[in-house]
Amino acid sequence: MKIALLGNPGVGKSLIFNQLTGLGVEVNRYPGSSVALESGNVCYKQEKTEIVDLPGIYSLDGNSEEETLVRTFLTSGGADVIVAVLDATKLERNLYLFVQAAEFSPKMIAVINMIDEADRQGLRIDANSLSSHLGVPVILAAASEGRNIDRILPVALGEATPARVRVPYDHHIEAALKSLEKTIGTPMHTNLLALQGTGDDPVLLDAAGAIAQEIAMRHRMSVGQIIATNRHNLAREITAAVVKRTAQKKPYDLDSLLTRSFPGIPILCSILFLLLLSVFMIGSWMEEIIVTVFTTSVITPFTALALPPLWNQIGFSLLIALQAGLGIAFPFIFTFYIGLSLLEDTGYMTRAAFLADRAMHRIGLHGEAIIPMVIGFGCTVPAVMSLRLLKTRREQTIAAVLVTMIPCSARTVVIAGIVAAFVGILWAFSIYLIVFVLLILTAIVLSRITPGEQFGMIVEMSTLRRPQARLVLAKSWLRIKEFLFIAMPVLIVTSILLGLFQYLGLTELFEQLVAPVTVTLLGLPVYASTALLFGVFRKELAFETLAVLAGTANLGSVMTSVQLYTFAIVSVLFVPCVSTIAVLYRQLGARIAIITSIYTVFLGLFIGAIISILMK
Amino acid sequence: MQPSLREDYLEAIQLFSEKNTRFPLTDELAAALSKPVPVVNSDMAELVSGGDVFVSPEGVIALTVRGKQTGTCVMKKHETLQCFLSEILGMDKSSASDEACTLEHTVSDETIDRLGKLIVTHDHNRHHGKGKHKQPDERACKVETDEFCQSRSISEFSEGDEVIIQCIHGRACAQRLLDLGLVPGERTTIKRKLSNGALVVQVKGCDVAVSPEIASAIGVERLP
Repeated sequence: MKIALLGNPGVGKSLIFNQLTGLGVEVNRYPGSSVALESGNVCYKQEKTEIVDLPGIYSLDGNSEEETLVRTFLTSGGADVIVAVLDATKLERNLYLFVQAAEFSPKMIAVINMIDEADRQGLRIDANSLSSHLGVPVILAAASEGRNIDRILPVALGEATPARVRVPYDHHIEAALKSLEKTIGTPMHTNLLALQGTGDDPVLLDAAGAIAQEIAMRHRMSVGQIIATNRHNLAREITAAVVKRTAQKKPYDLDSLLTRSFPGIPILCSILFLLLLSVFMIGSWMEEIIVTVFTTSVITPFTALALPPLWNQIGFSLLIALQAGLGIAFPFIFTFYIGLSLLEDTGYMTRAAFLADRAMHRIGLHGEAIIPMVIGFGCTVPAVMSLRLLKTRREQTIAAVLVTMIPCSARTVVIAGIVAAFVGILWAFSIYLIVFVLLILTAIVLSRITPGEQFGMIVEMSTLRRPQARLVLAKSWLRIKEFLFIAMPVLIVTSILLGLFQYLGLTELFEQLVAPVTVTLLGLPVYASTALLFGVFRKELAFETLAVLAGTANLGSVMTSVQLYTFAIVSVLFVPCVSTIAVLYRQLGARIAIITSIYTVFLGLFIGAIISILMK
Repeated sequence: MQPSLREDYLEAIQLFSEKNTRFPLTDELAAALSKPVPVVNSDMAELVSGGDVFVSPEGVIALTVRGKQTGTCVMKKHETLQCFLSEILGMDKSSASDEACTLEHTVSDETIDRLGKLIVTHDHNRHHGKGKHKQPDERACKVETDEFCQSRSISEFSEGDEVIIQCIHGRACAQRLLDLGLVPGERTTIKRKLSNGALVVQVKGCDVAVSPEIASAIGVERLP
């Protein structure tokens, strides 16, 4: 048996999913899409049941990746039973999706979640009456307390039926549906989509398009608006019949602080600053422990083995890659993910997006783009993965280039280790300043030259609530697994290639080859090119390799301040790391990955050259 | 001001905003119409008092819902006429465009409606049987006739106001708004309005944040 959870974003689907499946969750990618589908297995009455958590959506009519995925899932009969999860406090809006899903006539049950919250707001929902309106079993549940979650599986497996509820559409639409069904023979849900211009049957689309134009002319309203209004009206009627309201005293509304320009924007800035600061402090502390433990317990014993040189080199590169992965992933990225999940689960992220909309506007983006930008300070790889949030290709492209330029935690290590330590803390800040100026200039240029449509922000403000530790950890764990899955193979392969490169003695050849650039243009020592090359593999490796090649950790004694400063700025701007390129390629295609890499190389070299000439 | 001049201005602003996805500055508009800037400035003042446009302190000329409606309407008329003259009567493109510029101010809605239908059928017949399917939206000359909303945009109201939604302009953003319950006839409250025009509206018990350009596409009336 296969069960799928369907619902709007933020109805507590993930929490229910977590409580039903426990540990052992798998993340799968639906073929041909970058949307993650979580699934897990449970045993109920000696029968294996698979549970799938579908992405949260508002409607089945749209063309976003999530909506298309769920639609295909429903039409292809992806699950035996659909468990529709609805938010008791927003029942009317949630029923809109339910009545749409019912049109695909799968076996369904309805779980009305957050009934505890509804109680507090003075909303009383009559489950029996709702059940007879919808024609499916209804469970009133409160996932945060675990109330009635244990009833979901027995009811879903035993009593699920196709929903009886049917939207009474406008008579012109009903007539159109009948005639399409008669002439072309397609089911109602396909015809409804076709009337709104979605579908892949040219004959049906042609016929539906002509009818839709007629209807729109007569109503002076697009067919999409008529259909949506009909559905919302039914949802309103049902809600009015099953929900009783008793007046309650309104609790204090935190939004009066959070969404105003003042004090909202100062609060936003301090939250982001605190997040980055704590990630950096906790991260560097944990990284040191992990790197030391790994070196003493794995790398030192391995080098003591004294294998033949080739194997020694390959094994060593492999271990270094593992160390790099663990040393970055757990301390920095995992900590960052916890902070991020906290921001999301409390519902603050949507407030941040609202406040940031104005600033983002100036650079051709929208409020929602603040999420990838913030993630970018932690690590570029998950930031690029989160670009899916942006709706148009144009915004994704602009944001992709900007996100790869934002100094991630590894680049912060380079700035701190080279400039702050040997040149001065103010100089270190000046690098940030330069990067941000370049970022804004790039953004302004990109927002002018990138083709495509601008799409404004439409975000539902999630309800502010106390986050659940278990859910935050589970979410962060899933994300870090995804990160390791992408980054680890790339790290290992690159590390071994670079190891072989060194083993074959190509390093010197490479240094000689690019000497005109490093020495003449940037005024750096010859060996700096190798350090920069290693930086492509993992940014802070640029700093570590430089120390190894210079033969001393006290870089100030072998390089001038100008050289150190130039080196740091070049390695900060220069090419995103290989994991970033890999994820850019996966998410946005080869073209964007190549353009971004080439752009950053030139930008890095150009700025580096200017600095070395100016400061000479 | 001559009605035809007013229509020309509104059409040019609408055309500019569709091409560049933003509204023009005064000198950009002057350049587009090849008119001197001072003339444009004084004409704009007249349009502002007529309630067709508003000019921001930075000099950006934005259309009101009413101005946008007229602009779009004239633009559609121009497109339909040009399409008819060039594709069906076989005139060359640039003289068809010049001709359309004069005709667009006097032609009646009904004529445009019928021309539009003629073009669609003609287009359809031309493509028919070639085995190559074209979606209705990709046709060379697209005629839309479903923008009839006369209401003011929600961005003209202020925090705390209660309004009833009348219509949603534009297609790209419409679907998500409809899904979130912002459908014609729905009551909403403006919960928050920032100085740049970004709004939080409460609809069906949920708060929805929209950016300024989306807000300007929502036509509403004040709750009686």
